[in-house]
Amino acid sequence: MIEVAGLRKTYGDFAAVVDSSFSVDEGEVFGIVGPNGAGKTTTLKVLAGLVDPTDGDVEVAGFRSDDPEMRRRLGFLPEESPLYEEMTPRSYLRFFADLYDVPGDVADERIAAALDRLELDHRERRLGDMSKGMKRKVAIARSLVNDPDVLVYDEPASGLDPVTTNSVLAFTRELRATGKTVVFSAHNLYHVESVCDRVVVMNEGRIVARGSVDGIRERHGETTYHVYTDVAPSRVDQPTGPLSDVDATTEAVGDRFRTTVPDMDAVEAVREAVAAAGGEVVDIRTREPSLEDVFLDIVGRPMPGRYAGDAAAEGPE
Amino acid sequence: MIDRLRRILRVARWETARAGGGVDRRTLLAALALLSVAGVVLGGGLAAGVVGIDVDRDVYRVGVDPGSPYADAVEAEPSLTPVSADRATLGETADLVVLDAERGGADREVAVIASDTRKGEAAAAEFRAAVEAHNERLMATEENATAAFPVTVSLRYASRTTPLDDGATLGGADGGGGGGGSSGGSDGDEATGDGSGEGGDTGDTGGTGTRDSTGTGDSAGQEDSGLAVPSIGGGAFGAGTVGTPGAIAPPFPFASLLLAFAFLVPMNFLIQAYGSSVLDERTNRRGEPLLVTPLSPAEIVAGKTLPYVAAAVLVTAAIAVAVGGGVLSVVAVLPIAATFLAATFVGAMFARSFKELTFVTVGVSVFLTTYAFVPAIFTNVTPVALVSPLTLVVFDLQDEAVSLGEALFSTTPMALGAALLYGLGIGVYREEDLFTQKPVARKFLDALAVRLSAVEPDSLGAIASRDRLRPLASVALLTACTIPFVFVAELLAVAVLFALPVTVSIPVLLVVIAFIEELAKSVHLYAGFERGVFARTDRVAVAVGLASGAGFFLAEKATAVVQAVGLTELYVGRAAFGSVAGVEGLPVGVLVALLFAPLLLHGVATTVAAMGASRGRTRYALALALAALIHAAYNFAVVSVHG
Repeated sequence: MIEVAGLRKTYGDFAAVVDSSFSVDEGEVFGIVGPNGAGKTTTLKVLAGLVDPTDGDVEVAGFRSDDPEMRRRLGFLPEESPLYEEMTPRSYLRFFADLYDVPGDVADERIAAALDRLELDHRERRLGDMSKGMKRKVAIARSLVNDPDVLVYDEPASGLDPVTTNSVLAFTRELRATGKTVVFSAHNLYHVESVCDRVVVMNEGRIVARGSVDGIRERHGETTYHVYTDVAPSRVDQPTGPLSDVDATTEAVGDRFRTTVPDMDAVEAVREAVAAAGGEVVDIRTREPSLEDVFLDIVGRPMPGRYAGDAAAEGPE
Repeated sequence: MIDRLRRILRVARWETARAGGGVDRRTLLAALALLSVAGVVLGGGLAAGVVGIDVDRDVYRVGVDPGSPYADAVEAEPSLTPVSADRATLGETADLVVLDAERGGADREVAVIASDTRKGEAAAAEFRAAVEAHNERLMATEENATAAFPVTVSLRYASRTTPLDDGATLGGADGGGGGGGSSGGSDGDEATGDGSGEGGDTGDTGGTGTRDSTGTGDSAGQEDSGLAVPSIGGGAFGAGTVGTPGAIAPPFPFASLLLAFAFLVPMNFLIQAYGSSVLDERTNRRGEPLLVTPLSPAEIVAGKTLPYVAAAVLVTAAIAVAVGGGVLSVVAVLPIAATFLAATFVGAMFARSFKELTFVTVGVSVFLTTYAFVPAIFTNVTPVALVSPLTLVVFDLQDEAVSLGEALFSTTPMALGAALLYGLGIGVYREEDLFTQKPVARKFLDALAVRLSAVEPDSLGAIASRDRLRPLASVALLTACTIPFVFVAELLAVAVLFALPVTVSIPVLLVVIAFIEELAKSVHLYAGFERGVFARTDRVAVAVGLASGAGFFLAEKATAVVQAVGLTELYVGRAAFGSVAGVEGLPVGVLVALLFAPLLLHGVATTVAAMGASRGRTRYALALALAALIHAAYNFAVVSVHG
């Protein structure tokens, strides 16, 4: 459904996107993640036909990105979407439906269905009097008035409260169920993990990793083991003891001690060390790497704007 | 095409609703009420004859016998009210009494007695002026005008001290018409016209003599056409008016000009709303969703502009009806309205904030109002006035005919300029420029660069192919598109300088014109180099310089239209736009050389500027100055040789 080959976009001497290539299948939710300035938004704007590429080929739904016909097949949600505040949701959406030549009765039906699904009730209120979340829902509804095959969403849940965020993410998952192709960017990795089938990780304009979320996790993250013991770490971590050759870190957690090791052999070494010290292992937990960890591994720095709920991304222990 | 029109109309309908919604009802009602009150007061005043007209009517009471020959003089003067001499009591029922008694035969004894007050003295002065005016009118009815107004001409011959013929200094260009006789004084000759109205005796602009001969005085125009204009100002001026020089008023079409100005007033309000609407799209990226619809930027801009154009047409038509203008007035004002809107559009595209937009709209308003209004002041004086389409409105209000050539000359530069300004603005009506906060100068360069195609050294092969020439053709085309602006700027320079002594105006004009043209030919080349469209090599600089010079040369020929309206009859007009007069009889080789000399000039000078442009801003400024000097030297040479 989307083919991007050798995409390059420069602004003067600044390269926003460098040699970027990827493809998106029909019905797929595809994520583009990366820190601010990574080139995500520029890539999405090229897909939407808003920005002309400096070099490379971009095809969306069988049309070049600069083909006006492509725009009829595409719905775009920019990161910021101030609306025409003197209009009502209904008049605003009807205006855009008109621009896409959608017949009036069909437009009314689509608008009503989208607003119903997004649970937006105040359809005759001025947009200027609405909350940010409500406006975001109207903007999402706008991206659907032409019943597009491809949806390009730039940070769709950015800055929204948790309830609205969950609603938007759930709606995005439903779009996949209806066969829409969605390209979705976020710097909040939890959002990406929760809806995307595949992702590319961008940093400084380049794609630095790609694949399914699990695949990337496997390649760039490692499962770790947390071994909880009841003895002091100084007694466990002796220079000549069983852990002397093991990559382990120990920290106090309440009245216990947690030693993090990379594999089961190390777990056994910890068990032996604890037994030698007169203590015992009270718990062993595994920890899957989050996309945050993967990103840290790839780009060497943490993601900015970490979502408060990222703890939920941590694997079962 | 129909789909495109439909989409434009949808945007226009939405823009109309938005613009209407942007003004709260209370403000709207207050504005309407204010306009209504103003209309009622003005209309009522006009109907009652008290607004601006004859405010000194019936000030003095004059006792005069109805049978007296002086009764007609008193009757004709609005400030004097005749009362019967029999019932007049000086100081009570009359400020002045005329005692007129026949002494037998043709002899009459006349005594004029004024009350011994300041009002009485003023009444006497007014009475004296009324009698003189009455006598002038009587003389004017004489068939033998020369006998009625004998003129003594004293000639003094003086040797010329300057090679430039400043005899055509334009203060006297209106020599046509009755008053022309007095205009020749500017060249130092003490000559007075014969007052016969038979064309200007100084021999300058016959065209204006014809114009004047139709009667330009406001009073005359009012009487002839029944035009409902206030009779403000002096008497008539032109061939139809015969009299002593002291009775001649300046050819200043005050009333018509004042009414023509009324057409400009609504433009200032219109551009405020329009500019705000355009900038509002750019604020907080509000217009971004529109850019991903199937509409092209041109369609979006057309849709947003259409309501304001419609408003301009409606308001202009309404004003035309109100002041007695015709279709010509509407046709003449529309290019002005389009230029107001286009300049505001470009300004709103370049402005970074509403604060900057305010400066833009004020600048647009002041500049365009000045450009339109000031030349129109000289409607009855010089063809320079045709620089402004508002001059056509003045002609229209004076019920004077305008030729098609004059109408095109007056309106085409502004209309083309408006179209090109829209082209410039639409070029940056895209995501990359619409929502970024760049300085105005950088956006201007972006807008120019977006219209250029890449020129690399590799693309300039020895064999000219269509692909290789296309980028250079885009350079030439963009240069050609600057011609209307160059034309307007040069006309403005002529309009500003024409009243100065020729020894000052001509040199200044030649330098100014050289600079304007060199800037027009090279500024987009600088944009191309700065934005990386052109490779910074000497070879590319020479190629784009020559292409730009050629484009300008070809487009410049379009200015031959000035010949059609007589502008080259003026000395400064010839200096600015050249003339083909006087080349008859020259050998073909010389003629060909004369024809292509400008091409050589433009090619060389623009290449110099392009070489500088390829090396950065400072070098470009220096090279531009050098190119302008080369061009100015050429201009001086041409003027000196060709005259």
